[in-house]
Amino acid sequence: MTDPGNKPLTVVEATAEVLDARQARHPMALIVGVSGAQELVGKRVVVRQARGGIKHLVGSFGDPDLDAGALALGTQRLEERRASTKGVYELKSASGSTVQVYVEAHYPQPDLVIVGAGHIAQPLCSMGALMGFRVIVVDDRPDFATQERFPEADRVVRVDFRDPFADIPIHSTSYIVLVTRGHKYDFECLRHLLKTEVEPPYLGMIGSRRRIRAAFSQLQGEGLPKDRLSRVRAPVGLDIGAETPVEIAVAVAAEIVLQWRGGTGKPMAEQERILERFFKDSEL
Amino acid sequence: MNSHNDYDLYQAIAEKIQAGRTIAMATIVSTKGSVPRGVGAKMLIDPGEDLVGTVGGGCGEGEVIEAALEVIKTGEPQMVRVDLTEDLLSLSPAVCGGTMEIFVEAIGE
Repeated sequence: MTDPGNKPLTVVEATAEVLDARQARHPMALIVGVSGAQELVGKRVVVRQARGGIKHLVGSFGDPDLDAGALALGTQRLEERRASTKGVYELKSASGSTVQVYVEAHYPQPDLVIVGAGHIAQPLCSMGALMGFRVIVVDDRPDFATQERFPEADRVVRVDFRDPFADIPIHSTSYIVLVTRGHKYDFECLRHLLKTEVEPPYLGMIGSRRRIRAAFSQLQGEGLPKDRLSRVRAPVGLDIGAETPVEIAVAVAAEIVLQWRGGTGKPMAEQERILERFFKDSEL
Repeated sequence: MNSHNDYDLYQAIAEKIQAGRTIAMATIVSTKGSVPRGVGAKMLIDPGEDLVGTVGGGCGEGEVIEAALEVIKTGEPQMVRVDLTEDLLSLSPAVCGGTMEIFVEAIGE
């Protein structure tokens, strides 16, 4: 679908598109001509994603092939759902000329939903806010689910663990950590979350090996899909030997970044082995 | 997470436009090797006023600011290639070891 205007967006219009999409919590991709066909350098179009995932082009490069290419490129970048290191792609016009375009995807700020407002939740809330998450903390205890205990949280909500997400929308940008005061509550919440229509990109649950095993066995017995169970991060967090609540929060935060950016979780030094790879024995 | 960090920068563009300023925007559009900031990092150059954001601190920013002033004068966008691979072992803090392509364009009348 091409805008009837048949013209590229001005920088003012494109900036407004970025800010409006943010406000509306809709993903969008901005596409700018950066080299090649001179008349298109500095020209912009936008791929908007509406509710339901439908994508359409706003603005036009004035060429059907370029517009189709831009829409395809924006769509692809929006569906990747993770940060990319590559920004420049080539598009071909109907007349055969080429233009290099820079593509920038904008996603709504992701949610970090922390279920359980205890001693791990507090540092995790701070870290989540620092990383740019919109943090939502829930608990059933009124003395714990308070804004005072979680100053950086966007929302602190008192819920009933029998239906904990009645008031908390779970969507494709929700990172969820189950750290309630009791394993049975974590378990109830996990069961709810395995049944949501949209699978959250990160779902972690704290617990001992024995309890997690019991939980998985029960949930599998109830016929919950095995592939969704297999993506549950339980026990939650990376293995960094964490002991204290703050260290555990670091381990969980690191795993969330890993999921978001797609790292390996291994020490960089071990990955790179610079001494071993680039120096002969005699040089050491 | 990636994108909302430059949310404030888009806000700043809107404010500069509102204030009627003519500025330049520099965006890192591709990188190779070790560079101080990744693809998408941006800087606004408002001559005589201020810089908003960064495309890498000491690493090549001088070249970018120079290009920005020219782009504002001519209105023609430029691609600036910043090479940080020389003098890898020098003690300059501006040495990073990679290359980046930075698109510089004028915004405003």
